[in-house]
Amino acid sequence: MKKIFAILMAAAMMLTCFVGCKGKEFEKDSEYIADKGTLIVGITDFAPMDYKDEDGNWIGFDAEMATKFAKSLGVEVEFLVLADWGKKIMELNDKQVDCVWNGMTLNEEVLNGMETSKPYCKNKQVVVLKKDIADKYTTKESLKTLKFAVEEGSAGEDQAVANDWDYVALAAQSDALKEVAAGTSQASVIDLLMADAMIGEGTDYPTLTKSVALTEEDYGVGFRKGSDLAEKLNDFFKKCYDDGSLMELAEKYNIKDTMIAW
Amino acid sequence: MFETVFKALMEGFGESLKIFALTLIGALPLGLIIAFGSMSKFSPLKYFTRAIVWIIRGTPLMLQLIIIFYGPGLILGTNIWGIGSKGRFIAVIVAFVLNYGCYFSEIYRGGIEGISQGQYEAGQVLGMNKGQIFFRIVLPQVFKRIIPPMSNEIITLVKDTSLARVIGVYELIHFGEAFIKSNGLIWPLFFTGVFYLVFSGILTLLFGYIEKKLNYYRV
Repeated sequence: MKKIFAILMAAAMMLTCFVGCKGKEFEKDSEYIADKGTLIVGITDFAPMDYKDEDGNWIGFDAEMATKFAKSLGVEVEFLVLADWGKKIMELNDKQVDCVWNGMTLNEEVLNGMETSKPYCKNKQVVVLKKDIADKYTTKESLKTLKFAVEEGSAGEDQAVANDWDYVALAAQSDALKEVAAGTSQASVIDLLMADAMIGEGTDYPTLTKSVALTEEDYGVGFRKGSDLAEKLNDFFKKCYDDGSLMELAEKYNIKDTMIAW
Repeated sequence: MFETVFKALMEGFGESLKIFALTLIGALPLGLIIAFGSMSKFSPLKYFTRAIVWIIRGTPLMLQLIIIFYGPGLILGTNIWGIGSKGRFIAVIVAFVLNYGCYFSEIYRGGIEGISQGQYEAGQVLGMNKGQIFFRIVLPQVFKRIIPPMSNEIITLVKDTSLARVIGVYELIHFGEAFIKSNGLIWPLFFTGVFYLVFSGILTLLFGYIEKKLNYYRV
């Protein structure tokens, strides 16, 4: 009898803990952020937007802007590398991250599933292939016979689907580049910004080159659906654009041409 | 909706099953060969085999998949797997057979070395040669003894098939995840667990049955 009572007590205690641990509810997302004192930014390793310097600190255009934005909110910034870019909306809703800020293309999935900032950067999707076959594939039409590797759930995959290309979907853009370099796929569709930073002379992928540029697209920052932080970020972007600090940063990372005026 | 999801998951499960079955077909005999290698009296062969077993067991299967598939193209400059889904699948099978062959070999070795010397002597008394003793006396007993550890490994294999996706082979988990991206549905991913559970449940029952059938070997 005593034992059963003890077990019941333990169960009741655990239950109250679960209820108690559920946490406070906030009306506004900004209040939630302020209360916990951190802004957790979901990123992937994506030069020149988010990448690590030699000391292991996150740098890049997006990383620096995110740090500044967190400062303006009076909270600490924290970067969390998303294990799977395809699950970014789930990560947001689970509050594993507070925003996704990583050269994110504003496609339909993102616009439907997140509260997004206004676009701040214009990017292109570009085809990447090996230098020695690049001459043969200079038009979109000629790419038809190639086998592609793309990041699952990325704008590059949208392009492969739209053009009815034969492709394999992998976890990250860098995996897609690895495929092309290894010769297990013939071409890949990745962000122009990434292509500029990661392939060609002086990189790990000297044998790769850019080919046809596909659609243009806008980059934006994503928050939880209904979050008031998106609007706050728009104001912040405008402020930084007006005082010139935004363009200064863009210049530093060599992406001035892709910036959108505020 | 459920029907669509179920159909897609079945397709993925079919692919996982294919990896599972082909791995077993390759790894069960390969394990025996490796076991003989690591029990060999010829010491260079013994140490060579044990070194291989050490490397394969000492590194993650995920890494082995990546090295086997991308290594030839990235390190040696020639992609031996060709382009397309067939090469990917073959690479997965090669990696899995090698990996599981090594694990199986150690289980076999434990089973074989655990048979008492008296059994060999009894065979000699009956006038059997070495091969006859091994296949008629030792192996059936080994078979019975290794069922529990083997069922462990084989059930692990069911779940390890999900690693195939790192080199772009679409298996069950991949199909489950696809619904998150295309329809915003999360439950299909969780539902894949049911497939693994049911299948490993069937295997557990099967192994229990085999063990019971072999009860007459009382050593």
